[in-house]
Amino acid sequence: MTFTGLIGRLCLYPLQLIIRTCVRLRIHPNVLTFVGVLVNIAAAWALGLGHFVAAGVIMLVANIFDFIDGKVAFELKAVSAFGGFWDSVIDRFSDLALFLGLIYLYATLGRTDYVMVAALAMIFSIMTSYTRARAESLIAKCKVGFMERPERIVLFMIGAFTNRMAGVLWVILVLSVVTVADRIIHTYRELRDDPREAVA
Amino acid sequence: MKPAPPLSLPLRVLWNAFFWTYERTTWQYDLMVIAILAFVWLTPPDWLGDPMATGSGPIGWVVGGRR
Repeated sequence: MTFTGLIGRLCLYPLQLIIRTCVRLRIHPNVLTFVGVLVNIAAAWALGLGHFVAAGVIMLVANIFDFIDGKVAFELKAVSAFGGFWDSVIDRFSDLALFLGLIYLYATLGRTDYVMVAALAMIFSIMTSYTRARAESLIAKCKVGFMERPERIVLFMIGAFTNRMAGVLWVILVLSVVTVADRIIHTYRELRDDPREAVA
Repeated sequence: MKPAPPLSLPLRVLWNAFFWTYERTTWQYDLMVIAILAFVWLTPPDWLGDPMATGSGPIGWVVGGRR
């Protein structure tokens, strides 16, 4: 077993307890999704004030909601197309809030260089989601590239807990640019090799 | 999809790292995670001009920089 697989398996035990509790209380998954974004906004607030450890703890709580909403929907047999759409939209707001918190922090410190790094990382993180969503309206699947939302969120938490947010922002920026490029290349290749496209 | 032209091993490794198609919980994913964590934790904050952290970090200690 890989070590990331082992970490995932270890995290699953407490999460299953939370999922079971939510199912027992019959909390609607869309409510969990919405609570997640509110908690993420609180994390962004803490980031903006430079309280990284507090932000890390709040992000951890927020992302429990993000993680369990889909599982609770499945257990409650409440999986719906709107639920998936709602989850995706709310996730983008959560991403934007966290980056905005950092942009505010670096702006108040007068660090325009890191305002730019955070702003570019924010743009490419959103473009990562957009390129996949747009590609999958043209081709069957566009799941290429490393830097997806779970990786971004875990990196944010690592940066917050260990006070290494600058390094984390550089990693998110560079790998998000590469992920967007991967998705463009993949979509181009798929469409180029699609016989229906050749006819059109 | 047309088959990709054959590449030498180092180029193939570089291309596969760039054009990422591996799933989570594969050894390639673990390797990438280790590389990222090494960069984040070992790179001296001073080298990156980190606005919130100072110090030369483990790499700085090794190359003899001041803490």
